[in-house]
Amino acid sequence: MATFPPLKTGAVAQYPATKALRFQNQIVRFVDGNEQRYRDSAGPLHQWVIRLDQLDETEQASLEDFFLSNQGSFASFVFIDPWDGTSYPNCSAGSDRLQLTSVKELQNTTSVTVTENRG
Amino acid sequence: MYPQLTTGAYSQYPLRKQRRTRTVTNKAADGSSIKLADPNGSVTEWQLQYEGLSDTELSNLQQFFTATEGSLNGFTFLDPAGNLLAWSEDLTNAVWEAGPFLASVGGVTDPFGGSRAFQLTNSGEGVQSVSQTLNVPTGYVYSWSVYVQAAQPTTVTLLLGSNSVQATAGPNWTRISFTASGDPAAASILFGVELPPGAIGVFGPQVEVQAEPSAYQKSTTGGVYQDARFGDDTFSFATTDVNKHSVTVNIVYANHL
Repeated sequence: MATFPPLKTGAVAQYPATKALRFQNQIVRFVDGNEQRYRDSAGPLHQWVIRLDQLDETEQASLEDFFLSNQGSFASFVFIDPWDGTSYPNCSAGSDRLQLTSVKELQNTTSVTVTENRG
Repeated sequence: MYPQLTTGAYSQYPLRKQRRTRTVTNKAADGSSIKLADPNGSVTEWQLQYEGLSDTELSNLQQFFTATEGSLNGFTFLDPAGNLLAWSEDLTNAVWEAGPFLASVGGVTDPFGGSRAFQLTNSGEGVQSVSQTLNVPTGYVYSWSVYVQAAQPTTVTLLLGSNSVQATAGPNWTRISFTASGDPAAASILFGVELPPGAIGVFGPQVEVQAEPSAYQKSTTGGVYQDARFGDDTFSFATTDVNKHSVTVNIVYANHL
C-alpha cells in the first residue's frame, strides 16, 4: 500500500500542524433527565491537517502525483503520525480538492487533510 | 494554442493550480464508508496572474480569448507548473519509444538517494534513443532536461524535434538540458535521449514550456491538456502604466468535457 510522501528532509509535516481525534458516541436521554451513553464505533478516528510551505517543485509534484494516483479521497494509504511515529494503515485524503500555489520558484504551498478510515 | 509571453514564459508567479477529483462516498453509522471513484469527474483549474504585460502580450492574449469566444471553444494548454512528459519515472511505459537494441532497467540509484533511476543499455552497433513525442505547439520555447550518469565518460545527445545537443555523462549524476523550439511546420515534437553503444543511467526526464529547467517534477499523466477552456466569458485587464497591463486568467480542464 502507498505511503504518504515525506518531504526531502524526511519530515511529513511542517508547523503549524493540526491533529484531531474523534469518537462517535450516542446518547439516549430519558424523560427524568437521566441519560445513557454508549460507543457507536470501535474507537477514535484521527485526522491531520498538513500545511506545507516553501516546497520546491519536486516536493510539490510528488504530493500532486500522490493525490492523483489516489484519485483524491478514494484510495487508502499508510500515514505515519508525525507526532508519535504511529503508523495508521487505512487513511485517505479528506477532500477531493487539492490547491497548489506557486508563489515563486522553490516557494510552493499546499495543504492536505489526512483522514483515518474505518473498515 | 495558448499564447506564450515574449520572454518565453508561459505564466508568471504567483500561479495557482487546483486538482479536483470526484468520489462518491456512502458513510455508515459506525464511521466506516464505502467509496466509489469517478475518474472522469476530475477537473484541473489554473489561475494565471499576469503583471507588467506589454501591449503586444496583452493583445495576443486578448486575440486568443476572442478566437476561443471565451469559454466556448477548447484549446491546448500546457501546464506551466508541471512536467509535460508522461511517466517520467517509468521509461518502460508505452508512451516512451525505445530503439530496438535499447534495454531499460529500473531500480537504479538516483541522484536524490532513491532508486527511481533507469539504466539504459545499448547493445547495438549504432546509436539508440529513448523518446517521447508530445502534441504541443511546435513554435514555443521548451526546456528539455534529464539527469545522466555513466561509469565511463559517454557522449549522449538530447533530441528536441530536429534539433540536438551533445553532452557528456560521467561517473557523477549530472543534469543536462537543452532549450529550443520545434519545427514550426511539424504537428508534434519528439524529446529524446540518444546514446552510443554502452550503458548510461537516466533519471528525471522533464520538459517545460519555459527557457530554463526548474526542479525535477515527477509526472504520470503529463502536462499537456488538449481541449482546455477559459473558465470565464469575461476578459478584463488593467493598464497600470505605459505598455504595462495586468490580467488574471482562469483555465479549466475537465476530463469529462
